[in-house]
Amino acid sequence: MNHIVKRAGHTEEYDERKLYASIYASCVAVRVPQLEAELVATQVCQDVAKWLEDKHEITSGDIHRQATKNLKAYNPDAGYIYETHREIS
Amino acid sequence: MSARYMYDLIVLGSGAGGSVAANQAVSEGKRVALFEPGEIGGECPNWACVPTKALLYSAKMYEAAHEARNYGTRAKKPELDYKKVQAYKDLVVSRTGTAEGEQTLTEEGIAVYRKSARFINAHEVTAGGHRYSAAKILIATGTHNFIPPISGLEEAGYDTFFEAIGYTAPPKSIFIIGGGPIGCEFAQLFSSFGSKVHLAEMAPRLLPNEDAEVGDLVEAVFEDNGTETILETQVTGAIRKNQRKLVHYETGNGREHTVTVDNILVAAGKRPNTDIGLENAGVEYDEHGVKVNEHMQTTAKNIYAAGDVVGPYQFTHTASYQSGIAAHNMFHTKRKSIARYTAIPRCIFVSPEVATVGLTESELEKKRIDYQVGTATVDMLGRANTDDSFVGFVKVLTDNNDVLLGGSIVSPRAGEMVHELALAIDQGIQATTLARMVHAFPTYSEAVKMACASIK
Repeated sequence: MNHIVKRAGHTEEYDERKLYASIYASCVAVRVPQLEAELVATQVCQDVAKWLEDKHEITSGDIHRQATKNLKAYNPDAGYIYETHREIS
Repeated sequence: MSARYMYDLIVLGSGAGGSVAANQAVSEGKRVALFEPGEIGGECPNWACVPTKALLYSAKMYEAAHEARNYGTRAKKPELDYKKVQAYKDLVVSRTGTAEGEQTLTEEGIAVYRKSARFINAHEVTAGGHRYSAAKILIATGTHNFIPPISGLEEAGYDTFFEAIGYTAPPKSIFIIGGGPIGCEFAQLFSSFGSKVHLAEMAPRLLPNEDAEVGDLVEAVFEDNGTETILETQVTGAIRKNQRKLVHYETGNGREHTVTVDNILVAAGKRPNTDIGLENAGVEYDEHGVKVNEHMQTTAKNIYAAGDVVGPYQFTHTASYQSGIAAHNMFHTKRKSIARYTAIPRCIFVSPEVATVGLTESELEKKRIDYQVGTATVDMLGRANTDDSFVGFVKVLTDNNDVLLGGSIVSPRAGEMVHELALAIDQGIQATTLARMVHAFPTYSEAVKMACASIK
């Protein structure tokens, strides 16, 4: 189980649904069709899950950076939106 | 040191870049923790410098056994026992002390954690679900192999030096991607053991970071020994065919070629291991590595870095050097040490050996420094005559005041010879000083004297 270290020092369990929602929203924001947005969000979540395999604790910044990197490979525009608009969820 | 933290120093990585600083700090009474998820000692003693040199020594013995009859020793046809070659390599690795590495470190008083650690912030790392804090942190996480994006390569299967040092038999044929130091050493190794070697390099010559004469001579020697060197080449694809592999490549003239081999070895360079949460600690890095100043300090003032993860060279000797400087500067703030790279020797253990130091001609041209060149070939040396070994040269570069700036040696024992030039470059000595010095007869070092004397 991965834990996210929050700025205050406490930890939260990693919730993949939050990441999926953010990626999906970023895709939709750049007019990616709904089905494609779902596919991209699923793929990015899988990529991030693979990256997380050997990690117990990470920061939310780590997740954000890794997801940005992966999303940019599928859709640079959505990646840019995700990178620069952290409030998207 | 402050009791706010669990340790005075946390070191990430147990290679030369980490262990030197860890030992130095603990000897000064600091509380030190070291994190190492892989083998203690890092790449050099376990997978790289040491095992490859042991294998190259076995290869040299195998070749010498074949040639011995030319010098009066008759023997039956030498046979290769690769199991013994591997056993010798393992013995050599075991003698470096890496097997007892963890014990040695813990006996010194270093807390060793066999886990990978990740930054949470500038003073804290997480490893295995636990957190550890320190006043200072040293990053020495090394590098990983760069695998070029070649179509079909993953499916066809490839090796890196990690696998190649452990082959149970030399491959019948091998395609090596990358004509840098690692690619050239493996080409030397496997061709000595009788493999058909194809060595591919993108640049117009082997060892492209060195002066042209170096790569040109190594290429000529390789070609003489049956290695096919393919320059200005782009490997475009690989396909598995039964147990063998088809490698497609394109040469500079646009022609496409295919070769069938048993193994593909990727030696296309290395990339720094920076996926350790550096952003959480405010440590800047790029594709070349962690950014440090001349004191080995990163952009986070309590965090230092050393070794391959920093560059500019990826050698054990530079890693040790940087690690010592980092350890000093972390705990001795009044008089800081500065890392200098003007006289770092660069050795490539092909036959004859290659050793270079200081600036190359292209670097001098880039810096717009006027320079003079002196050269001497080894074929005129007494030692070349006695050893029946006539291939090689020494080349030196000086500024207009005759001060040595760089040198290249291709010669038997070049790795030993280069230190005379390194000292001269480090100390700003003139070439005429080396030319006046008496060099023992008959030695290959006489070529250094002759090269220095030839500058006009």
